[in-house]
Parts: sequence; C-alpha cells; structure tokens
Amino acid sequence: MKPVITFALMTLRNLLRRRTIWGICIVILIALFGIGQIPSYGVSNEGRFILDFGLFGLEIGALLLAIGLASNIYPRDREQKTVMPIIAVPLSRGQYLMGRFIGAAIVEAAAMIVGCIGLMVILLMNGHAVPADMFPATLLLLIEGWFLLAVVFFFSFWTSPPLNAPLTVLLFIVSQLSVSGFIKLFPQAPGLMRALRLLLPHMDVFHIKDPIAHGMNIPGLYFLLAIFYGLAYMAFMLSVALVVFRSRDLK
Amino acid sequence: MRLAAVILITAVLLLLACKADYDIEEVTPPEHTGTDHHDEHDECEHEHPEHVESSHEHETEAAEPASVHEESHEHDVLEMSGSHRHVHAAGEKNHGTGWFFNQPWAASFIWGKMLRDALILLVLSAVILFLSKYRRKRQ
Repeated sequence: MKPVITFALMTLRNLLRRRTIWGICIVILIALFGIGQIPSYGVSNEGRFILDFGLFGLEIGALLLAIGLASNIYPRDREQKTVMPIIAVPLSRGQYLMGRFIGAAIVEAAAMIVGCIGLMVILLMNGHAVPADMFPATLLLLIEGWFLLAVVFFFSFWTSPPLNAPLTVLLFIVSQLSVSGFIKLFPQAPGLMRALRLLLPHMDVFHIKDPIAHGMNIPGLYFLLAIFYGLAYMAFMLSVALVVFRSRDLK
Repeated sequence: MRLAAVILITAVLLLLACKADYDIEEVTPPEHTGTDHHDEHDECEHEHPEHVESSHEHETEAAEPASVHEESHEHDVLEMSGSHRHVHAAGEKNHGTGWFFNQPWAASFIWGKMLRDALILLVLSAVILFLSKYRRKRQ
C-alpha cells in the first residue's frame, strides 16, 4: 500500500503543477458567481434556484475535472516513456493505476470542496440560508465525479485523448437515462438493454438537490447506501480499466 | 474447475440483471405517491365519459338555460383558473408530485435494489480481476 500512496502523492504534485486544474476551478467559481447574479424578478424562494443551478454546476464541474485531470495522464506517461521504468521495477500495473487514480481523486475532492464553499458564500451573499445537507450533497456529486474519473482512466487506456472526452460525456449522458429511455435506444432487445443498463449507475441516485432546495430531510441511511452504490460502480470501472491496461503492450 | 465456477456465477448474475434493472416508476406502489385518489378519478372519467358530460350539461342547463355563449365563457374561465380542481397541501405526496417522490432518495422501496446492484457490480469486478490474473498466469 505504501508504494501506491507515495505514487499517489507524486501524481498529486504533478497535477497541481498543471494549469488545467486551476483553469477548470476558476471556470466553476465564475459560473457559480454568475448563477448568484441572476436577478430574481421578485420571485420568492430565489435561493432554491441558486442552489439548484449551483449543484448542477458542481456536477458539470465534476465531469470537466474528471476529463481535465485524467485524460492526459497515461498518454503523457506513454509518450514520455516514463510508464515503462515505473512499471518495470517499483510498481505493478494495478498499483500504477491506483496511484494515479488516488492522486487525481484527491485533486477532484479538493476542487469540489472549494466549489461547495463558493456556492455557500454566494448563497450567504444573496441573503439565503445554507442548507444543512450541502456537504453531503456535494459528497454524492464527488462520488459521481470519482466514477467519471474511473471512466476517463478506462477510456485513456485504449483511446486517444481527443476521443476520450466525447466518449466520457456520452457515457455521462447515457447514465442519466432511465431504464425505459435506455431501452428506446435499441428497442429490439429490451433484455439485453436492461442488462447493459445495470453496468452503468443511475446518476439520479447522486442528485439530492430537489429535496435540499425544498428543505426536506434525507435519511442518513440513504447517504451511506448511495456512497456504497457509487463506490461499487467506481470499483467495477477501475477493474475493467485495469484489465484493459494489463492487456496493453507498452513497447 | 475454479474457472468454470467463476463463469457460472457471472452468468447467473447477468441473468438476474437481465430481468432486474428497472425504473422506479415501474415498481412504485400507488400508496407511495398518493395516486390512489387520482387513479380512481381517472378511471371513473374513462369508464363513464358520457355520464360526466351529461351531468355537466345538466348542471349548465339548470344554471343558465338561456345563454350558451355565457356558459362556455364561464367554463373557459373555470378551466383557466383551475377552480374546479382539487388542491393539495404543500409538501404532500399526490399525483402531481409523483415525479418528485419517485426519486431514489424518497423511494425507500428501491434501496434494496441499489444495494443489490452494488453487490452485483462488486462481485463482477472481483470476477473480472480474477479472470485477468488467471489469464496472465496461464500465459
């Protein structure tokens, strides 16, 4: 485990040196600030709209961060030929993947916390109360972001970076579909489509902005279950990514 | 032998998955979203449309038999204002808020499926890793 943590911290330092991450964080904060500036036109409960759009912005931010952070890691390592000496001696391929993933996941978590605090500040600046479940809601969006990060790693092992982003966005959109909507993509084989749909998470599990915006309480058990659900899908995607990575010839 | 067992378990899980992934709407009990009243109302309208229409006509004839134009205007106003519709208290589960309470956080009857899906995926990932390791050893 120690080599993985060391390699994850190395990845963390590498990612923080890049300008991409800072650019995406600034874009997220500007978007949140923009949401806070939308006039209410006398509509009551304006805070609900800010919260709703703000959490949606954080979700899109998680997607952008996943693509921005991970789509270039493995292709760059391969191009600069740093992956071969790393895998040759100190790390196995699984440890390489876990190290890279944990490093990127820590950066994504930090960025999401900054976004969440930014949204809280915007709510307070506009004179609205900050809901108690704000951090748990962001945590669920972060879990969704980690799943997307695993998806980006999976695609990065067998596609080029320009293709990685649209494929991830496509998978993100498909994951938002209900089962009936997913079956409509290929109605000739509903059983197969139901099986394939199981391999993608239902993203609405991570969306609790509606009850939060309306001041409703969410059971604590649901948070634990949703976190477990997201982590299971993340583990599945990482295991598929590892299988693809193991089958790659790095020469 | 171990490989055969792994493949068998995976096949069973996938077979289960084929039948088991569904939308919340497909399994929502009527009492969950409070649609009992609405469904009964709808059924009544569908089964006896002529009854509804005749009673409406009867009411309007009794109220204002002389002016058809005024009656239709009043009907339009009622439609627009929605005053003939029933009103629910804020935050109450009913047919209008079904979509809201059919989200996973509110539909506790779906939580078991979430847990099952997560366990299936964990088992599948373990199987995939095992098969990958097995293949590398064979090579």
